[in-house]
Amino acid sequence: MVKTLGWLAAASVAAGLVMAFGVAPREVTQGNVQRIMYVHVPLILASYLAFVVLALASLVYLVRRDEAADRVAHASGEVGVMFVGLGIATGSIWGKPTWGTWWTWDARLTSVAILFVMYLGYLLLRGTIEDRERAARYCAVLGIVAALDIPLVHFSVYWWRTLHQPPSLMKPGGFTGSSSILWPLLVNLIAFVLLYAYFVARRVRLLRAEAEAVA
Amino acid sequence: MPDNWGFVAAAYGLTAVALLIYWRRLAKKERELEALRRLKAPRS
Repeated sequence: MVKTLGWLAAASVAAGLVMAFGVAPREVTQGNVQRIMYVHVPLILASYLAFVVLALASLVYLVRRDEAADRVAHASGEVGVMFVGLGIATGSIWGKPTWGTWWTWDARLTSVAILFVMYLGYLLLRGTIEDRERAARYCAVLGIVAALDIPLVHFSVYWWRTLHQPPSLMKPGGFTGSSSILWPLLVNLIAFVLLYAYFVARRVRLLRAEAEAVA
Repeated sequence: MPDNWGFVAAAYGLTAVALLIYWRRLAKKERELEALRRLKAPRS
């Protein structure tokens, strides 16, 4: 099953690249640099998904003390941190030619940096506590609390004046741009969600094997 | 506005490299665990 998911993810990433570079048009005001959107937006949205899954799995762990739920939370956190880190980096690369700066402390960028640091702390906390049950419990609480930052990140562009543009996909009234931009964005979003699922499935399998090897 | 293809290549290249490194790290860990399991398995 993991292998099938891997092949599906690889095929959809290839399709996403074809859509981003072969189908999507050159944007009128930004030029071809706007094509960064097809990797930046899916990375950020997939990281939201990762942290929501982490929070739900953490809740299940706190209620049932189910180690499988803790493994899902751990794996999802690891992949989520990688995705949000790459989302910040690609956004910064996109920002330099369009805004004239790599970074600015506006509401969207600051709140997403806080999200990244909180989940990085989540992974560090896992590594520093030796007692596995205690580490799982503390991390579950942190994972749920940190998820409260997700709506703050998403709605920051509405609540404060920011340099960052409003959301492209998840906004009131839906996507208002051209379908030649929407479809490449959707295909890439599916690709990154599949990639997320593949990495989490593989990491969960590995965490289970590690637990069995230690036992 | 100029096309800035260098920035596009940097964004996609960085993402590809990071994903590849993570994928290889998972594969390496799996190989290590498999080797450990073989070592622990009772010999017949």
